Amino acid sequence: MTLTTKTLSALILATGFGLAAALSPPSAIAAEKRGGTLVIGSTQKPRHLNPAVQSGIATAVPGTQIFATPLRFDENWNPSPYLAESWEVSGDGLSVTLRLRKNARFHDGAPITSEDLAFSLMTVKENHPFKAMFAPVTAVETPDPQTAIIRLAHPHPAILLAMSSALLPVIPKHIYGDGQDIRSHPANSKPVGSGPFKLVEFNPGQDIILERNADYFMPGKPYLDRIIIRNYKDATSLALAVDKGEVDMYPFLAAARDINRLKKNDNLVVTSKGYAAVGPINWLAFNTTKGVLKDKRVRKAIAYAMDRDFIVNALQGGASTPATGPIANDSPFYTGDVERYDVDLDKANALLDEAGLPRAGDGSRFALTIDYIPGLPEQQKSIAEYLRSQLKKVGIALTVRAAPDFPTWAKRVSTHDFDLTMDVVFNWGDPVIGVHRTYLCSNIKMGVIWSNTQSYCNPKVDAILDRAGKETDQAKRVALYKEFQKIVVDEVPLAYVNLLPYHTAYNKKIGNPPLSIWGAMAPLDEVYWKK
Amino acid sequence: MVDNTDIETAAATTATGPPPVESPAREAWRMFARNKAALLGLILLTGIVLMTLLGPYLYPGDPFEIVWAPFTPPGVTASAPFGTDYLGRDVLAGIIKGGAATLAVGASAAVLTVVIGIAVGAFAGFAGGVMDEILMRVTEFFQVLPPLLFAMVLVALFSPTLATVAIAIGVVSWPQTARLTRAEFLKIKRLEYVMAARSIGARDGRLMWGVILPNALPPLIVSATLVIGVAILFEAGLSFLGLTDPNVMSWGYMIGSSRQYIIDSWWAVTFPGSAIFVTVLSVSLIGDGLNDAFNPRLRDR
Amino acid sequence: MRVLGIVARRLAYAAALILAVIVLNFLLVHLAPGDPAEVIAGEMGGTTQEILAEIRHAYGLDKPLHEQLFIYLGRILRGDLGQSFYYNLPVADLILGRLGATLLLVVAALVWSVVIGTFLGVIAARRPDSPFSHFITILSLVGYAAPVFWTGIVLVIIFAWLIPIFPIAGMADAGIEGGGLAKAFDIARHLFLPAFTLGIIYLAQYSRLARASMLEVLGADYIRTARAKGLSERVVVGKHALRNAILPIITIAGLQFGGLISGAVLVETVFSWPGLGTLALDAILGRDYPTILGILFLSAVMVIIANILTDLCYRLADPRIDTGGR
Repeated sequence: MTLTTKTLSALILATGFGLAAALSPPSAIAAEKRGGTLVIGSTQKPRHLNPAVQSGIATAVPGTQIFATPLRFDENWNPSPYLAESWEVSGDGLSVTLRLRKNARFHDGAPITSEDLAFSLMTVKENHPFKAMFAPVTAVETPDPQTAIIRLAHPHPAILLAMSSALLPVIPKHIYGDGQDIRSHPANSKPVGSGPFKLVEFNPGQDIILERNADYFMPGKPYLDRIIIRNYKDATSLALAVDKGEVDMYPFLAAARDINRLKKNDNLVVTSKGYAAVGPINWLAFNTTKGVLKDKRVRKAIAYAMDRDFIVNALQGGASTPATGPIANDSPFYTGDVERYDVDLDKANALLDEAGLPRAGDGSRFALTIDYIPGLPEQQKSIAEYLRSQLKKVGIALTVRAAPDFPTWAKRVSTHDFDLTMDVVFNWGDPVIGVHRTYLCSNIKMGVIWSNTQSYCNPKVDAILDRAGKETDQAKRVALYKEFQKIVVDEVPLAYVNLLPYHTAYNKKIGNPPLSIWGAMAPLDEVYWKK
Repeated sequence: MVDNTDIETAAATTATGPPPVESPAREAWRMFARNKAALLGLILLTGIVLMTLLGPYLYPGDPFEIVWAPFTPPGVTASAPFGTDYLGRDVLAGIIKGGAATLAVGASAAVLTVVIGIAVGAFAGFAGGVMDEILMRVTEFFQVLPPLLFAMVLVALFSPTLATVAIAIGVVSWPQTARLTRAEFLKIKRLEYVMAARSIGARDGRLMWGVILPNALPPLIVSATLVIGVAILFEAGLSFLGLTDPNVMSWGYMIGSSRQYIIDSWWAVTFPGSAIFVTVLSVSLIGDGLNDAFNPRLRDR
Repeated sequence: MRVLGIVARRLAYAAALILAVIVLNFLLVHLAPGDPAEVIAGEMGGTTQEILAEIRHAYGLDKPLHEQLFIYLGRILRGDLGQSFYYNLPVADLILGRLGATLLLVVAALVWSVVIGTFLGVIAARRPDSPFSHFITILSLVGYAAPVFWTGIVLVIIFAWLIPIFPIAGMADAGIEGGGLAKAFDIARHLFLPAFTLGIIYLAQYSRLARASMLEVLGADYIRTARAKGLSERVVVGKHALRNAILPIITIAGLQFGGLISGAVLVETVFSWPGLGTLALDAILGRDYPTILGILFLSAVMVIIANILTDLCYRLADPRIDTGGR
């Protein structure tokens, strides 16, 4: 993956690029690509179809077909026009001006204007769980129906990324602005959208049927007639269905065995591309306020006792990559120059001895419980069970506490009722969006899952993150995040295990498969069936 | 679950006469022993129970410990003769150690079912009148609850420990035993020897537990045996759905946790599945044998 | 007239029973550890005390429990089963959308297993000590003892993956073009393995039941009379014995139909069958209390209706039998 070194000011030049790219005429080639149904398989059950008020991949995949965003990104982290024909960032970084297309309409025929964009942004800002995305936005001005000016309290390097994929769907103000609470608005299950596909049927827990939007603002597209997103109860059935051709595309495939099996199928392409902006990290989280875990040495000892290689190669079939820090390996901000916790049982034992926790007669030093997210056996449960066996070797008696369902686990962890827990947290492209939330002192919020549930607090780290969130110079940001990673890995509020090995398996006859940084969480308007 | 005892109550039943000359227990045992299938069941079950009790001493090994590479097939290494699961844990150790939990859940659920069922059914059948009406309404109430669904709800809402699982199974299973007990009590309390005992002054308690119950036992024993099988299958089903205690090894837990790796480690699912199958089968054979033994009419063809 | 009286009494009693079930389930769900408001908030991905208070008020959770119960009962009478915590859609709609799939599955399974099971059981009863009879017994024991989800998975692997005759999962290919016939055929293809798997257990039970019931009947006096009258064996068995032997089968089948949701959960899960079983599992695992209550309610109603109907049919078929009356 190539590193982009554009600074925000250089993006002003992108406006010209944007105008040219927006004018793609329909052609005979486009007509040839027309037709066909794409069946996407998923084990997720979205609650509804409006990503403006709901995070997560379950809502994102259908949501990005139904709703358009101002920008879209390619596989090299380059933004390109979508609903916004062009954009420019002011020199001081405090305002972003977007110019919207004139011919864009909602699925009910109403024109898409800057009012809708302003409304959508404020809706996301107020309701979406990712508070950091639009926190610096102070106002959105709409001088004319095609122009929106976003005012920022300080330069916000993540602003462009935050206007793509599922993070800023443009929702119709004339439908959602009726005073009802948007989080539970009935239109969320019957959305009127702005994107390449319209909703035909939403059968909760079963399937979602989308059909081509004939009035899509990019003429000639989308190529597909229909997209069906079908729910399977477990990953194994889904993998078998893909193998047999019952399902055409399987994004977010993560089970190593299934990956290896599907790779043997000559009719399929199995790729790990398309997840660069997801950055899914699987880690072991410590409740740093609890008992022996307050001591950094104890946490380090546990990190050293864990054999990441065994987990990655033996438990996960070699399909995943070890994670070494808070930022995913394929992010431009990643550094591997941090303390490595390669398995060292002697060191672990020594650290525990040093921390004043000797072994008792039966060999154990102390007891801990570990939680894990139910429903993700290979990534969560198996590691928790592995640790039970492994930590015994350094004298820690680990009890695995199963939660019968996700809300129970989420409640335990968000109310800090845990010792250790496995968790999966996504980077979401820019560290401001998905990384900061885990380490900021100000984000220790009782009851909010995926906040700083470890209660980790280091004012120095807060200061670094604050500066990095306002710095527009890429090189300076990289340096700041480097320092951040070193400190956090040393203080070990989390022991990082692996990156989720997300792959997409798709029928080889599919053209333009979704391999941008957002993968299947991006419009599939250019996907077609090769003849 | 439908079993032979339902046939008894569903089809027309006729009262039996006074007890035969030979002690019914002896006759039953004699009939039972002649039934090859039932004997087979007894042998199998004894074997399984022995394995559960003695196995951990003869083959020590923590089923939660990782002993070899994951997904090792059976017969490859002596550390795991039946292969390893997705974590590298010894399947054989799981079978041996897991038997205890599975049988314990089955047995305790059965005990709970039988105790509650007999108590309710005995009082209803013996007392008659209002007491009977009330108890029967309660029984119907519990019988209306969907068994698996309700047990799932109980386990998910409260905590997924083996105790909860056993209680949940007991709660949804006792009505059938209660009805059976009541039917037996209704039948027997009208018989001559009971009238005789009452006429010489035997009190209610003694009548119920000392006179009627022993004669009502045969179908109840059969039913209890079959409830064990049902409870084991129930626990397996709950584990398959993910509603069990992950800190205790049981056969159902093994199936549930290896379920998604069935193609890559079929042995991790097949062996515990077979263990459940053999146990339930042997229990059913014994139950059938007992049923046939206590009901010679059906055998005399 | 007497029948009407019985029906009326039964219905009144059934209503009381349903009421009791609703109350029990409601209390159970609301007394279980865990705060429904937190569940709702958790689904939205985060909460604070203000949001929790808002949610409690919006869903009426801040009222005392008995008041909530009355409100809930009132709503049920109007057919309103509440809104799903997870999907924020009416529970009644969710259930109705899935009911057909489960009915299809269970009816298909029951029909084939009852018919074939009865057939096998009757044949076995005619020659009680023959190898065939023993084979039937063994078959039924095996079918009963093997865990149903295990059988289902094995069948999928063999007949859907290794030898791709049937689809892996689901009820239908949403992309099927063509008319109703093509769609029906597609559903039938998807239905085969799940209905077969579910039916195996029923087959085991009904073949045993049929055999035992037939044996019972064949030993009765009126059969001996019919034989003594010189009627042919076929008439004896086919006309007289069979009609009486079938009664318990119908009874049990009717009762089992009532419990169909519970019976279908495991099979629906293995085959990703979009029925009430999978809806229930999702709801239970997601702590979606209104949906859980709705399904438990529907299940109770179905059992009670099935009981009443079965009882009626049985009485009509054999008025001598006094089932449970005084």
